[in-house]
Amino acid sequence: MSVPQARVSSVAERWDRERVLALAPDAPSQRTAQSLASGRAWPATGAGTGALWGECRGSGAAPYRAVVDLSGPAYRCSCPSRKFPCKHVLALLLLWAGGAVPDDAAGPPGWAAGWLTTRAAGPGRAPSGESAEPKDPKAAARRAEQREARVASGLAELDRWLCDQARQGLAASQQAGYGHWDDIAARMIDAQASGLAERLRALASVPHSGAGWDGRLLEEYALLHLLAVAYRRQDELPPPLRETVRSRIGFSLRQADVLAGMLPNGQPVRDHWLVLARRDLEQDRIRARRTWLRGRKTGRDALLLSFAAAGQPLDGSLTVGTDADADLVFYPGAVPLRAVVLAKHDGSDGGLPDGGSVAGLLAGYAAALAADPWLDNWPAVLQVTPARAPAPAVRDADGDALPLHPGAGDCWPLFALSGGRPVTLAGEWTPRGLWPLTAWDEGGRAVAL
Amino acid sequence: MSTWQDLVTASLIGTERTGVPDSAASGPPGPGPDDPAAQLLDRAALMTVARRGGRPAAHAEPPPEAEPDPSPVVSPAAGRRLARMLGGEHPDLLAEWLAAAVARNRRAPAHLLPALLDRARRVSPSDPGLRRLAAEAGGSRAGWLAGLNPDWTFVTAHAGGGQDAWRLGGKSQRRGYLAALRTRDPGTARELITESWEAAAGPERVMFLSVMASAGLSLADEPLLEAALDERDAEVRSWAAYLLARLPGSALGQRMAQRALGCVRIESGVRGARLAVVPPARSDAAMRRDGVTSGQGGRPQERDARTHLLHEVLARTPLRTWTDRFGRTAEQVLALRSGPWAPVLFTGWSRAAMAQSDQEWMTALINWALAGGPTGTLFGAETLRQLARRADPARCARETASRGAEIPLPIRDAISVLRFRYDMLKELEL
Repeated sequence: MSVPQARVSSVAERWDRERVLALAPDAPSQRTAQSLASGRAWPATGAGTGALWGECRGSGAAPYRAVVDLSGPAYRCSCPSRKFPCKHVLALLLLWAGGAVPDDAAGPPGWAAGWLTTRAAGPGRAPSGESAEPKDPKAAARRAEQREARVASGLAELDRWLCDQARQGLAASQQAGYGHWDDIAARMIDAQASGLAERLRALASVPHSGAGWDGRLLEEYALLHLLAVAYRRQDELPPPLRETVRSRIGFSLRQADVLAGMLPNGQPVRDHWLVLARRDLEQDRIRARRTWLRGRKTGRDALLLSFAAAGQPLDGSLTVGTDADADLVFYPGAVPLRAVVLAKHDGSDGGLPDGGSVAGLLAGYAAALAADPWLDNWPAVLQVTPARAPAPAVRDADGDALPLHPGAGDCWPLFALSGGRPVTLAGEWTPRGLWPLTAWDEGGRAVAL
Repeated sequence: MSTWQDLVTASLIGTERTGVPDSAASGPPGPGPDDPAAQLLDRAALMTVARRGGRPAAHAEPPPEAEPDPSPVVSPAAGRRLARMLGGEHPDLLAEWLAAAVARNRRAPAHLLPALLDRARRVSPSDPGLRRLAAEAGGSRAGWLAGLNPDWTFVTAHAGGGQDAWRLGGKSQRRGYLAALRTRDPGTARELITESWEAAAGPERVMFLSVMASAGLSLADEPLLEAALDERDAEVRSWAAYLLARLPGSALGQRMAQRALGCVRIESGVRGARLAVVPPARSDAAMRRDGVTSGQGGRPQERDARTHLLHEVLARTPLRTWTDRFGRTAEQVLALRSGPWAPVLFTGWSRAAMAQSDQEWMTALINWALAGGPTGTLFGAETLRQLARRADPARCARETASRGAEIPLPIRDAISVLRFRYDMLKELEL
């Protein structure tokens, strides 16, 4: 092949193809990017100081200009595509991954340098759509007061609805349509308690979830009732628990405030965070990604949430099985799990985590529940052997077993990977069972399940 | 004292028709609510959290451990490519990946085996070889999985079986046994076929021949195949002719060479040597016995009967015929001008090169096509497609001389396939 071998890049450790392809918003983008990643389409490319740039021949007279800031990563391209990153950016990254982008000591050309400079000067990774400061503190306080009143009346209505269900009996729920929950969920949206609306809408599937549905529905109703009561009596709660209650209802803190360390617990925690697992969920035109981290030094677990509109890419800057040396800031709460990345330092290598025992996981979850009774996704890192009898489960060296979540499917890749021997497994522990997400193979490499 | 189930039962009936069971857990601080429904929900909330927090570990029995596999797993890059292929990228090259891994005594990553075995199960029986390859590349782990999921039992059918599979097994077990034997020991497999031939019916003879085609074909097979040319069953005859044409040293190959040399001659012209082509006038009984069909149906309109006959003869002619007779290398033969016959020569020779697994010719043909040679017709495009999947990519150009966006699609496709295979085989060497 006549692709020129680039000199060893001094700018940043070169990514592999998979890491690039993982950035693609969808499968067609991956395919078009791969076909576009040939030297012929790119008359001019270069790399240097943590950035890549290139001009790609398109159908028009002017070439498309793509530039990548590898530290984000962040991208920009002059093409009109609404996909992000677009195929040109992906193709440029693929070329680079394949060693076909030469280092350019002269630095980026003007059109790329402008954008890169603006980024470097910017205030880190300020999330878009959140202005730095409210314009008028008085108006803001008035709005907050109005919202508080709306939420209070919404929750009072929810609690009446829940009590009505308990009074009339849940038996009727199996005949009820989705509207039964959608109506009350819509009321919660009006009341600006979006966290509750989500939970309520999800309940519509419970009556058809097989044996034990009645118990599961009662659990959910009871926990919602507990939340309504807790909100009503929030002044009696310790501040971290109050934050937990409010965030579960839908009061979200501004990410900028969290990053600014303006909140209690707000000190950044620096560690080598192993990216344990990732789970993507589609909910109501929104895509959500949960990324679970575990600090190598602190042993702390962290949960990063990212959201994107349908068809838009989710944050792919962290790769499962790698370490990220980063400062995290935790959101306040009774069990602080949710965090946001304040700053990333030069990455370090991955490696497998220490798998724990089933008893340890259950004890940890119990302790967390004591602080946050609504917690229903708990990070699990276990050293276990998958089993199929009497039901799909994992069992540790002590003989303790946990069922696998029925929604996780047949989990054949996990069984194949284990071959009947213990594996290190990361996943989410939920009241219905363990949802396996990542396992480490015999070579110590992370495999997404 | 009430249990969780009491609370569930009460909630199903509703507090307007039944009482609230007493809770085992102590209630929340402060006065409880007066509304029985709220009392029920309070108690349920307490018990929910208590049950979740106090959940005991379950019991489970893991399956017996898989046998350790002595062959090492393929490189991570090769594993990632296999995942991509199972995800839909160049699925037609899967068999080549597997065969290359098996030949290097490497195995597929364990976590990909479920997808691989599912694929092999779905495509079969159109491609029985894929099942065998998947089972071999999966190693002992694939056999272990087959013990857990009845969908994948074909793995063990191919792996073991023994003599019983041959004597007592069904069609696919017999084929599996024979195919494994043919791969291991072609001579013994041939003896088994020879002694079973008389008793076998047409479809089983076809199975024998297809197993012979899958591995270990050699001139030692010729007597059996030559005799099969006189069988009554047309499918058996055509298989036998097809296999003999893949053996350049066979008598059938010599007969074809005689016919071919009557059709294609080298002439010296004003502008140097060129090829003069005269297709056969008509097909005769001897040609038909050797598998040359007169070609009805499915052929493009412009290919008249004589052109078709020429093509069929070329496809069965040992390629040595041309290099020996003309005293030129494959590349030099292709460089000879042949005017409007070039596309026919290209497809005919390409089929011969693929049947005879002649890398020298495949490479020369691909390079001829990528350099803008006469693939011309739709038929030529399909031939190029197949060549790009069979030729050794390390020896091919993987580039085209033509520039710009007007590279024809078949050539772009061929290049991308050659590159994919080149990377794929390199990763399997790691």
